[in-house]
Amino acid sequence: MFNTILKKIIRSGVGKSRSLMAGLGLFIALLLILSAVQIQVNYNELLYGKTNQDSIANFLVVNKRINGNNPDNSLSSAEINNLRKQPFVDAVGELTSSRFKISAQSPSDRFPFYTDLFFESVPDAFIDVKSSDWHWQPGSTNIPLIIPNQFLDLYNFGFAPSQNLIQLTQAMVMTIPVVINVQFHGQTVPFTGRVVGFSDRISSVLVPQNFLEWANRQFGTQQSTKTSRVVIQTSDPGNPALVRYLKDNGMVTDADKTRFSKYRQIVNTIVSASWITGAVMLLFALLVFSLFIQLTIASTKNEIRLLITLGTSPSQLQRFLMKQFVPGNVIIVVVSVLLIALLQLLLQMYLARQNMHISPVISFYTIGTALLVLAVLWLVNHRTVRKYINENAEA
Amino acid sequence: MDIKLRNLVPRPLKDRFILRSSGIWNSEVDLRHKEWVKVKAPSGTGKTTLVHVLFKMRHDYEGMVYYGDRDLRTIPAGDIATIRQKQVSIIFQDLRLFENLTARENIDLKRVMQTAIYPPEVIDDMAERLGIQGILNQPAGICSYGEQQRIAIVRALMQPFEWLIMDEPFSHLDKDNTRKAAALIAEECKKRNAGFLVTDLEDDDNFDYTRHYDL
Repeated sequence: MFNTILKKIIRSGVGKSRSLMAGLGLFIALLLILSAVQIQVNYNELLYGKTNQDSIANFLVVNKRINGNNPDNSLSSAEINNLRKQPFVDAVGELTSSRFKISAQSPSDRFPFYTDLFFESVPDAFIDVKSSDWHWQPGSTNIPLIIPNQFLDLYNFGFAPSQNLIQLTQAMVMTIPVVINVQFHGQTVPFTGRVVGFSDRISSVLVPQNFLEWANRQFGTQQSTKTSRVVIQTSDPGNPALVRYLKDNGMVTDADKTRFSKYRQIVNTIVSASWITGAVMLLFALLVFSLFIQLTIASTKNEIRLLITLGTSPSQLQRFLMKQFVPGNVIIVVVSVLLIALLQLLLQMYLARQNMHISPVISFYTIGTALLVLAVLWLVNHRTVRKYINENAEA
Repeated sequence: MDIKLRNLVPRPLKDRFILRSSGIWNSEVDLRHKEWVKVKAPSGTGKTTLVHVLFKMRHDYEGMVYYGDRDLRTIPAGDIATIRQKQVSIIFQDLRLFENLTARENIDLKRVMQTAIYPPEVIDDMAERLGIQGILNQPAGICSYGEQQRIAIVRALMQPFEWLIMDEPFSHLDKDNTRKAAALIAEECKKRNAGFLVTDLEDDDNFDYTRHYDL
């Protein structure tokens, strides 16, 4: 009741259009800040979220950039150790290559083929094929093999049609034994190879590591070769630091897997720009609001003084004035949060169609930021009201 | 609550009252609870100044004013507001109404500023007794001085008080209206067991005064 009368006495001395402008400024500032927070959260979710984990993406095969002028493109042990120490590298697996001559041929005339071959091995943890057949017993002449998926694709879609051969499924390939001949001092040592899996990660012919170590000791004809490729495990192949490190050290990896890095830099830039613009706008909005309050109080100074003379307490006036300003702020904050929530829902539906999964609801960080901004607004308003009312109360 | 004055002199009047004596200025005055005090003051003797000092509206004085045991100067703004809402009411010589509010809103302001002691109908009753019921819904700014003075009187009577301070409260009223207003004020003071201090230029018999001062 008292406030109804106060409302008639203390009309906002600044006019509706100016208060609308101040509100609009606050609204835009909030939208920028909240969307910056939400975009950051979404991006982190895309990067680290379980549903988005792509097992291939977390393992990168790294080698030196091939440079025609440099005969040696291997990685030194110092370089490998250095790579191991980087914070964005979780583990490094060296690819060991065979140091003896190998050939493979078909055991039957139905699929006649012959090829010279090489083997490589890498610790099992770095292999994306899980198979119970993936082991070698010392003394056994049976060798499990893992070949790249692309090999089969090359055969099925390139080679087989042109040679009028039948196309093979993975299961068919896995049933065909391959005769492996190792050349050793002019003699041929026969083994039987069998494909037990297809790798999307490492484009090489892989054999179990214990077999290759034994075979290199047994048949090795060359000096121990240097490592030319390593597999690194990383939680975040899109990390710009990783990409920069590889570039600075003359190394390369599958560019497809690190292209996220570029997107990430773009997102980071957008997020920072949004942050900074939002923060600056918020600062201005706060300034405008506090000027707004000063102007309202200054333009009704005589009325406020008379009210105080008649016995209105400064705290009654403060409460009344806060009631004039705070609901508007709360509405603006709530509307911004709702708008961001709606945008998030639309974004989620859009990204889901692209097989990217983010939460359909906004994050706690976003809501927390909105509450924080509201608290700051309240504090600034409260301080301004108190300061200018007390000035009039003391007069 | 007693109001005590100790060697109170407003600085602008200081030189004048060193030479001549006054019932109030530069002396010891105890305004006891429930007393009905008349201060007779010719023009220019500081009548309105006294009222403003007593209501803590100006501070340019020497000596002391006590509300009970509290030095008026040291009472903070929040406490003064409470005192003005519950213990000390006032009728200003210059009335001090909100011109844009209606007469009723001006009066209601003091009714609901603190916990109301009267229902809104009391405004109509009092207005009728003073003959201003017809202008209650009119903006105070367009009311005549006599009407505004009666609005200010009713406004002052809407709140609880122990002291009512009145600065020439009937200056714009004719004899008949003065009698009605004085009767209403006396009635309300008795209801509250309250004292008052009224200033005027001349002697009068509007109230049964218990004490007289010459300024």
